[in-house]
Amino acid sequence: MVVFTFWDWLWLILYIVVMVFSGVLFYTLGKRSESDFFLAGRGLPWWLPASSVYATHTATDTPMWMSGVIYRYGLAGIWYSFFAAWCAVSAYVSTRIFRRSLAYSQAEWQTLRFSGLGSELLRGWMAGWQVYMNMMILGWVGMAMGKVCHYAFGWDSWVGLVLFSSICAIYVLAAGYWGVVIADFQQGIVVFLGILIVSIWGVYEAGGPAGIVQRLDQMGETWRLNPFHFTGWFTGDFPIAWFATMLFIALLGGLGMGTTIDWYVEAQRIQSAKTVRDASYSIWGGTALVLTRNSLWAACILGFYVLNPGIEKLADYELAWFRVGFEKLPPGMVGFFFAAIVAIHLSTVASILNLGALYITRDLYQHYLNPHASERRLIWVGRFATILVLLGSFLYGSIMDNITEWLIFAIWVMAAGVWLPNVLQVIWWRFNSWGYLSSWIANLGLSWLVVWILPQAGLLPTLPDYAQFWLLMLLGLLIYVPITFLTKPDDMDHLVRYYVQSRPLGFWGPVRREAERRGLIGPPNTEVINGTV
Amino acid sequence: MALFRKHWTAHEADEWTKEDFWACVFSSLSYVFLMIGLALCFLYPLLGIAITILGGVFVWLMYIAIDPKLRTISADYEEKQKAYLRNLDRIMKWEQHD
Repeated sequence: MVVFTFWDWLWLILYIVVMVFSGVLFYTLGKRSESDFFLAGRGLPWWLPASSVYATHTATDTPMWMSGVIYRYGLAGIWYSFFAAWCAVSAYVSTRIFRRSLAYSQAEWQTLRFSGLGSELLRGWMAGWQVYMNMMILGWVGMAMGKVCHYAFGWDSWVGLVLFSSICAIYVLAAGYWGVVIADFQQGIVVFLGILIVSIWGVYEAGGPAGIVQRLDQMGETWRLNPFHFTGWFTGDFPIAWFATMLFIALLGGLGMGTTIDWYVEAQRIQSAKTVRDASYSIWGGTALVLTRNSLWAACILGFYVLNPGIEKLADYELAWFRVGFEKLPPGMVGFFFAAIVAIHLSTVASILNLGALYITRDLYQHYLNPHASERRLIWVGRFATILVLLGSFLYGSIMDNITEWLIFAIWVMAAGVWLPNVLQVIWWRFNSWGYLSSWIANLGLSWLVVWILPQAGLLPTLPDYAQFWLLMLLGLLIYVPITFLTKPDDMDHLVRYYVQSRPLGFWGPVRREAERRGLIGPPNTEVINGTV
Repeated sequence: MALFRKHWTAHEADEWTKEDFWACVFSSLSYVFLMIGLALCFLYPLLGIAITILGGVFVWLMYIAIDPKLRTISADYEEKQKAYLRNLDRIMKWEQHD
């Protein structure tokens, strides 16, 4: 149990009041239009969505996860966080293409890229999937907050889950995405300061840089300082084959859209940036902060390791970073540390609440139920949708202990078999809605087979996760490529319109030639003025 | 001759060129060097600082490769955005295109 002094309570209460007030302050801007409630009117300079990317992806469970991999694998464990590097390529490829499409969400983009019934099915499916996933993610991070509060104050887990998400909902309901990004900006600053202070403190407590190196040397574990310490090419639980697969997924994934679960959050930030350039830099800058934040955590966890070696249980060493903050910081600073934890939590909750509401409002209500709804009605639907996502997160959070495995499986389903289709839909004109839809359906079945059913039946060995990725990708190819060629290409008028607006990278030759034939764009080294080449 | 183009027309900037490729390469390298370099700053300070500075050099290379092109794309695209948004509105309301 952590004991708060007067100064600790002052830090915490002051911070929560300032944060909620600054979000609510943008109530007038948020209610102007649907575009304001969900995209801040598409007018943000790059550093605001960048800080939102950073703050959103710094969740309560993130330091637990980082503590786990660094404590177990040493500095090399930092590569587990390098999946975020898909943004290195995406910032200059898929971000640019997506920003030019002007789609509010990835579900909406499906109807701009594909045509006909298939595109509508895809939009409905993706919107429903995203509502479900956002409730799950909120339940997940909410329960992580519940665990931290239980560790620090002895509260029941549901108190931490309900209390802080509800506080957050105040400014999300009032100001929509305006409230989210403004609060994210100040939360991002508090979070970065909190992580920096605790990490430096942790390294200092462990004897400083020289002390950590010396202690690890005495323990015969200097391998923990090597960021390229692997367990062999294919052997052990941290092989080079995993590293190579991770680099492949992360970097080439930047060519596509939806290749990681984080894309759906980033998509909203991309569209909220005021120009294509701002969108690119926001994604690049936000992710640079995410990766450097992980560096600070890694140093701190190594310091924790030399002070507390030999912890066996994952549940114990996962709390390493939190323990450094609560146990090592001086009285008066613990309140600031807890305020940073609240900031970490609320920045994620706010973004996910608004994102889930976006899919309900824009892609389900407006597109399928009431296309002519007024702006005022859409904002109110957005607010009701926010409450719905919040209540759904409480439900999922309350049963999360039993469904953690299901959540990991759900995320894995998104990452493995549909990874390549998510790239193909961006770079290959002939890949149609039926091919993409079939890849999702096929992957649902194949991932069950490869991950659970066949190994349990003894028909397939239990494969490491990187091998499962390659197998699911190959099996999926055998289904969706034939279906793509057996069904008609998307409507050429639709493709030309999409191509001229978004100018995608890759294999778009026939569409480009048609656009040139119509005089909509010129061949390279020519200029088009008022529609004439 | 400059390594990367500094002046673009809107039409030229719409094409995918070597500047995009090199921006992606420098961007990826900068992430690797910044992440590893900063962590090592707390363990082997001199080595960490050197790697972090190298990461900064890659950020600068990325910027000079891509920024002129991004500026041109953005300026041209923002002029067309209103028309594109009207088109998007028609799609949302199930209206026929022209």
